[in-house]
Amino acid sequence: MKGKTATGTAKGRTVRAIALRSFALVVLLAAAWRAQAEDAKSPYPGMAPIEQYLMDRDAEIDLARSAAPASISSDADVMVLGRKGYQTAVKGKNGFVCVVERSWMAPFDDPEFLNPDQRLPLCLNPPAARSHLPLTLKMTDLALAGLSKTQMFESIKAAFEKKELPLPEPGEVCYMMSKRQYFGRKYGNADPLMFWVPKTDDMFWGGGLPGSPVYVHQYSPEPITEFIVSVSKWSDGTAAPTD
Amino acid sequence: MKRQRIKTITLRYFALVVLLAAAWQAQADDAKSPYPSMAPLEQYLMDQAAEIAMARSAAPASISGDADVMVLGRKGYETAVKGKNGFVCIVERSWTAGVDDPDFWNPKLRGPICFNRPAVQSYLPLTIRKTELILAGQSKAQMSDSINAAFEKKELPTPESGAMCYMMSKQGYLSDRGGRWHPHLMFFVPLTDAVTWGADLPGSPILAAKDSLDRLTIFMIPLPKWSDGTDEPMNAH
Repeated sequence: MKGKTATGTAKGRTVRAIALRSFALVVLLAAAWRAQAEDAKSPYPGMAPIEQYLMDRDAEIDLARSAAPASISSDADVMVLGRKGYQTAVKGKNGFVCVVERSWMAPFDDPEFLNPDQRLPLCLNPPAARSHLPLTLKMTDLALAGLSKTQMFESIKAAFEKKELPLPEPGEVCYMMSKRQYFGRKYGNADPLMFWVPKTDDMFWGGGLPGSPVYVHQYSPEPITEFIVSVSKWSDGTAAPTD
Repeated sequence: MKRQRIKTITLRYFALVVLLAAAWQAQADDAKSPYPSMAPLEQYLMDQAAEIAMARSAAPASISGDADVMVLGRKGYETAVKGKNGFVCIVERSWTAGVDDPDFWNPKLRGPICFNRPAVQSYLPLTIRKTELILAGQSKAQMSDSINAAFEKKELPTPESGAMCYMMSKQGYLSDRGGRWHPHLMFFVPLTDAVTWGADLPGSPILAAKDSLDRLTIFMIPLPKWSDGTDEPMNAH
């Protein structure tokens, strides 16, 4: 009786396991199909030729430095994008690192993802350089290796799960005050300071609420929350729009 | 042995002289200040409804409308409104300014402030403790000693990661020199150098204040708007 029940249970389990696997496969295929369909709808369904993302080296150094006031960026390390990833072009001395991020650092569901025109100059303070820069470098390696958006998503997800990529440290600040930044057609320019923290709720800083000066972006798949505070001046000291 | 004793006596004498000189300096500074000592308590108190409204004006209504509100009573702060979003709004008084601040006893000073959850846990206890000590009649020096001792005994916490607050009230009065100053956000971190955040450098939008008594650094970011949505003149920064 016990044995018969056990055999029956084992058979039932096998059937259930097959059913579950089939279901999982269907879900996976549907997700992949949806991702492909969304990619196809995007104006940038795939990586453009690498040349379109590259810049003249001096122009890139100058653009990277424009992310923060000169009192910060002129003493910072500067990294520039090459055909195989970012390289340090200027060695600084204040612990900050300035870099021009490309569109593969945009959220995965952003229509500007892979837009070859996007240029986002950032200057990262030392804690942000330690924990955000590895993500930028990793994403860049994946993009330059020709991975699809879905493959990049899975790779980043796995890297955080395996703790190959670090979580934000306390006290991270990123300057993004360049007047020459270009987000893409959908967005205007902004003059923010950004703060990354391990994933938390929007209310942690009162972000995204009516009248709040704090905007919030929940990363995915990265377990990171980004809080954004706009200031009223660009890095060159000129007034920036306040809305 | 004898020589050692003489050295000890000399050192103690020197320490006493330094201590007396510091106390004398502090007293001299106080005497120079327009507010050399605590005013009658009534001058620091407010009508409860007015204090609640002022406390809430520190942040946009979308935040402060659901926050706890604490008001100042004769013995310290009490919760007047229970909220639900983890924020706490209060109106700070002058004794939360630095001990060498000429406005330390200024009874006109009102600092509306809304703390987020980490700041409620790690900075608000400091404000509450300072207020209780002052209202119990402690002098500035005694209050400093008590706060120092509380940190040593770990009765007061250092800032938690992500501790911040809103100070966007148009109704605030932060000092005789600066009046309501500018709407701003403040971030509390354990004592650190201003340059870690790129603060206080030419053109930087971030200002820093190091407070060794409170064992923290405050980073301030002036904002272009008050909590009611009206513009702060940009050229004022």
